Amino acid sequence: MSPDVVVVGGGLAGLTAALRLVQDGRRVVVVAKGVGATHLTGGTIDVLGYTPDRVDSPRSAVSELVGARPDHPYARLGVELLERSLDWFTEATGTLGYTGSMDENLLLPSAVGAQRPTALAPASMAGGDLRPSPRVLIAGFRALKDFYPAYLADNLTRAGIEARSTLLAASPRPGEADVNGLIYAAALDADGGFRRRLAEELAARVESGESVGLPAVLGLEKAPEVWRELQDRIGAPIFEIPTLPPSVPGMRVHRRFAAALRKGAARSIVGAVAVGAETRNGSIDAVVVQDAARKRPYRARAFVLATGGFASGGLDLELGGNVRESVLGLPVAGTPDGSAFAAGALDPQPLSRAGLAVDDELRPVDADGKVVYDNVYAAGAMLAGAEPWREKSGDGISIASGIRAAEAIGERLQ
Amino acid sequence: MTRISTEVLVIGGGATGVGVVRDVAMRGFDAVLVDRVDFGEGTTGRYHGLLHSGGRYAVKDPVSARECIAENAVLRRIAGECIEDTGGLFVTTPADDPDYADRFVQGCSDTGVPVEEIAVAEALRREPLLNPRISRAFVVPDASMDAWKTIWACVRSAQEYGARALPYHPVMRILRDGDRVAGAVCRDERTGEDVEIESRFTINATGAWAGRLADLAGAPGVTVVPGKGIMIATNHRLVNTVVNRCDMPGDGDIIVPIRTVSVIGTTDSPVDDPDDLPITADEVREMLDAGDELVPGFSSARQLRVWAGARPLFKDDKAAAADTRDISRGLALVDHAERDGLGGLITITGGKATTFRLMAEVAVDAMCEQLGVERRSRTAEEVLPGENPDGHYWLGSRLARRERTMHDDQLICECELVSRGRLEEAIARRGTQNLDDIRRVLRLGMGPCQGGFCIYRATGILHDERRLDGPAANAALRAFVQERWKGVQPILFGDQLRQARLDEWIFQGLLDIEHVADGEVGAEPEPVAAKEVV
Amino acid sequence: MTIEIRSSLDHCVKCTICESHCPFSAATPLFPGPKYAGPQSERFRLAGRSPDDSVDYCSSCGICTQVCPQGVKIAEINTQARAALKEERGIRLRDQLLARPSLNGRLAMPVAPLANLSFRLPPLRVAMERTVGIHRDAPLPQVAKRTFQHWARRHRAPLGGPAVVYFHGCGANYYEPRTGRMAVALLEHAGYRVIVPPQDCCGLPLQSNGIFPAARRYTLRLARSLAPYARAGLDIVATSTSCGLMLKREAREILDLEDDEDLRVVSERTYDICEWLRDRLDDDRLPTDFRPLPMRVPYHAPCQQRGHAIGKPALDLLALVPELEVDELDTACCGVAGTYGFKREKYDIGMRVGDRLFRLVRESGARLSVCDSETCRWQIAHHSGVRSVHPIELLYRAYGLDEPRPR
Repeated sequence: MSPDVVVVGGGLAGLTAALRLVQDGRRVVVVAKGVGATHLTGGTIDVLGYTPDRVDSPRSAVSELVGARPDHPYARLGVELLERSLDWFTEATGTLGYTGSMDENLLLPSAVGAQRPTALAPASMAGGDLRPSPRVLIAGFRALKDFYPAYLADNLTRAGIEARSTLLAASPRPGEADVNGLIYAAALDADGGFRRRLAEELAARVESGESVGLPAVLGLEKAPEVWRELQDRIGAPIFEIPTLPPSVPGMRVHRRFAAALRKGAARSIVGAVAVGAETRNGSIDAVVVQDAARKRPYRARAFVLATGGFASGGLDLELGGNVRESVLGLPVAGTPDGSAFAAGALDPQPLSRAGLAVDDELRPVDADGKVVYDNVYAAGAMLAGAEPWREKSGDGISIASGIRAAEAIGERLQ
Repeated sequence: MTRISTEVLVIGGGATGVGVVRDVAMRGFDAVLVDRVDFGEGTTGRYHGLLHSGGRYAVKDPVSARECIAENAVLRRIAGECIEDTGGLFVTTPADDPDYADRFVQGCSDTGVPVEEIAVAEALRREPLLNPRISRAFVVPDASMDAWKTIWACVRSAQEYGARALPYHPVMRILRDGDRVAGAVCRDERTGEDVEIESRFTINATGAWAGRLADLAGAPGVTVVPGKGIMIATNHRLVNTVVNRCDMPGDGDIIVPIRTVSVIGTTDSPVDDPDDLPITADEVREMLDAGDELVPGFSSARQLRVWAGARPLFKDDKAAAADTRDISRGLALVDHAERDGLGGLITITGGKATTFRLMAEVAVDAMCEQLGVERRSRTAEEVLPGENPDGHYWLGSRLARRERTMHDDQLICECELVSRGRLEEAIARRGTQNLDDIRRVLRLGMGPCQGGFCIYRATGILHDERRLDGPAANAALRAFVQERWKGVQPILFGDQLRQARLDEWIFQGLLDIEHVADGEVGAEPEPVAAKEVV
Repeated sequence: MTIEIRSSLDHCVKCTICESHCPFSAATPLFPGPKYAGPQSERFRLAGRSPDDSVDYCSSCGICTQVCPQGVKIAEINTQARAALKEERGIRLRDQLLARPSLNGRLAMPVAPLANLSFRLPPLRVAMERTVGIHRDAPLPQVAKRTFQHWARRHRAPLGGPAVVYFHGCGANYYEPRTGRMAVALLEHAGYRVIVPPQDCCGLPLQSNGIFPAARRYTLRLARSLAPYARAGLDIVATSTSCGLMLKREAREILDLEDDEDLRVVSERTYDICEWLRDRLDDDRLPTDFRPLPMRVPYHAPCQQRGHAIGKPALDLLALVPELEVDELDTACCGVAGTYGFKREKYDIGMRVGDRLFRLVRESGARLSVCDSETCRWQIAHHSGVRSVHPIELLYRAYGLDEPRPR
């Protein structure tokens, strides 16, 4: 009953690798210490946004980047794989309708009204592209404290976008002052009356020629349908703007992946911590997982390690400065010699680039470039050489490396 | 130029200054208090919050010990809701001199500090994380005191008696009328305009900066050595009682539970500039290791924040300059009429937060003497204004309040349970646009996420309240992010690093705050550029 | 609160993932969410002063701890905080009653037919609701005429073969002895001799209701009973997935019993029955002589089953049965959460939480649904109108085993 592959890590990279393997007909078990960072992302797919100048074309910028930074994960992954991976992701997320390409970044408004470059966005967000200088009405909800339309619109206006703002009273829990985005989303899924009330209130305020920016809470289970219905009802285009976690758009992506994995008979164990491995002759026989009562080995022929970087604890910085990879104790590359952090909060942080160095098949290597375990493949934020949030490259790295790891494993298992 | 005419000008809004202006106002003088930034941004706002029982000084400095226990009782009475009655423990760890304990008990008895020995088992029952290898334990009435709450309560009291409180009014020059100090010219940082304040008497309560101000007044050579001390707050309270090492006072020998954190302090190194207090990795390590002596495992617990304050150490010619700890920490009162032939000015510096009221009384007594009037202090008698003046602060009070208001009010800072209503109230009351000012009293952004979620919300609300336009809001947001970073960067590892990375994701990855236009905080907000549809 | 549980709050980075998955805060504004009740409020609590009554609306389903990517013991913090709250405020009679299923079972059993009938009478149920606070429509189980223990004592076990211990729990003993009989038959079919030691409640309902001293007494009594077998190297198999989790982990962590040696050895030997059977499959010791079961059924993995962190072994086992199609529902929680959904003030919340699950089961058109926990089965059956069975029942049928009778 052993699976072919055990994937450790339930974020975008782990889910991508798992699903790609399932599509190849492999038996997959996903072990995750919790739910991954999909729930925190904005729902867009960032390939390359800043270098540090704003990137208009990810395709050319990535090509330039890998020349200047051969230690960047994109140097291993390459433009062609990135492109294929984006197509794959678009298909895997089906009716969410991801749109965009490597040719040009969209410029979407952030929750403070910055113009944020990204490569792919779901249909419900893509209409917020600011490049055509749309006239917009930014609408928030009184009870939703994670979205400030006036502030957002103010920043857009000063950047040359014609923007107005408004606050809507419609609420899924009338009488409650503090209602989070997820509750809005669930109510929009389930309550046709609420959708109608919201649309009516909004329709009364929108002017002709405007498109409407709403916080990204337009449904979870029934996401694209909720968005389309509201658009139809108000008679104007609507685009969602992602805001603070919990990220409803991120959860939509997660649900699609989880459903596809279930359908493909993959097994996901959430809440199980991988604590080590059984190794033999340069290979791993099993990953050891701590469950409620005991440590259990999960045997497989290949393993994907996608436990994330410092944010998730896949990489750990100890007091005293040592950096550890927390499951297998793999050697970590790129640890800065001097200070790990810069004085400026928004400056490049030297520690950011630390992570796992890998070969072309994404197998972690040691300082001499030698593969540590021949059947272990790494993907996602644990790869060395990137600064995913400053560059806006995290999603591209996760998806492309997840695909690459899955394909490399596929070749190995033939 | 605006002109204000008053009787007494108090310069410096730390504990000493606010204590002074309150006393001055209560004695019937018209008074103005100024500070170059917000009140309490200096030393008072940077200490660990310990309300001394006096036990720490019982052996080494009996005079201080007596003052402390007396003022401890007074503050508990008049500033009850600013104080949490945590109680204190002095414990003999394996690293402490075992003979000190008996001297400690004797010293407390001699100085009137209530002390009671308890069994080690009992101490460990009260504080399960305490070092199990302690050999003796003593209970004293230490407590913790919220510095900003106390400061603002004093300011409100002074205002009730007619005084004016002007933060963000740095002194540009001192006015002279012959051989008398006649007031000062300050700059109103908000408007950029000068304000001339004429006063009969001026009190220099600028603490670690007292020497500089005295210089400005034409009374050079007042030497105040800034003694830098760092403090580290843990993410949650590891102890609920103040815990002290039972030994001669040293570095890192106290852990104070204050609000939702516990704070270890402190170090001691003289610096030149009280505005430049670098925090070194060695000092951080030293404090974490010191924490381990009292609470094993302290150094691997999640550390929330590190900061430094500068003690004002008035230099006595008899002691060496290098060791600031031996320099008297009693108050120093300089009568410039005597010292410099300069009438109408006194400097009050040194001291510790616990005895601020007494210091203020001494200073105002000296002023009255110089003025030739007899008005006595009543500051020990009257309770400070507040919401719940009769009770002590208890840790659960915000949670209890939230339970009552959870359906009616939004929670803006979730970590520290700051509601929108309280935030708006603070914004209105302070009339401020500065997020940093607001956060001190409310503790906004001072919890585990260090503002990761609430900074954006608070900025949006400030903008909504028309206090900031877009560019100013962006600048405020970035400034706050930077300010938070300053205090976490030296203690980033493990859990706190994970938090910092999530915050980085939010600010850079999601909001992309780097790429919105900047503006000036403090300038009058321009009309909101985007039209708001009602 | 135990140090380990409280100090886990340091791992919280406020990411809100727990809140995103909490079915109860999604269903009611009375529960402000696991992040609030757990790592956030805990920083404001002093032992003995619990200002937040809202923590009582946490169901202790445990989903928050499972999904937390940083390892915060959220549900455990909540459960301990609730116990502290109850200790301060007092524990109402209703909770004392609901928390003692074995006592209730023993009291009701001699008069089982009468008890069962009267619990179905609306006037009596309304009176119960008004006085004791158990909701009139709460799915109270029928008490059996004879305990499972009674059957087990008379059951002639096969001689020889390796031994395994069966921990049946109150559910099987007083309310569903058939589940126990099937479990024994299955284990014997796999070639094992089943030992059923004298045993009583594991203490889980007492723990969930914040009655810790009594909970500890029950847990330890059970541990004393099972420990000799564990020390002898025998596995302990549980059909109640929630009680199994209690022995594996929850009692040690939440009741602060990590130092008890008996409990430790027992927990290290405790398996959920599907987990254990799947392990036997991996050892090639599970017979796979299944007959076809041509049906399509929905499967709901209870919250506490997921808390074992062993995957969903029921699915792996049922996949072996020819023509049986099992749909893994993506449902979070049935809303009963042990005794939570029985309570007058929480019944409606439980209903809302389980609503999607009940609907999916109804809409599936299946004649049965499958679920590993007895209280969840009662809840699902009651609200969907569709019978709910333990996964082992399908295996039992697929093996063609007759219901064993005492000889």
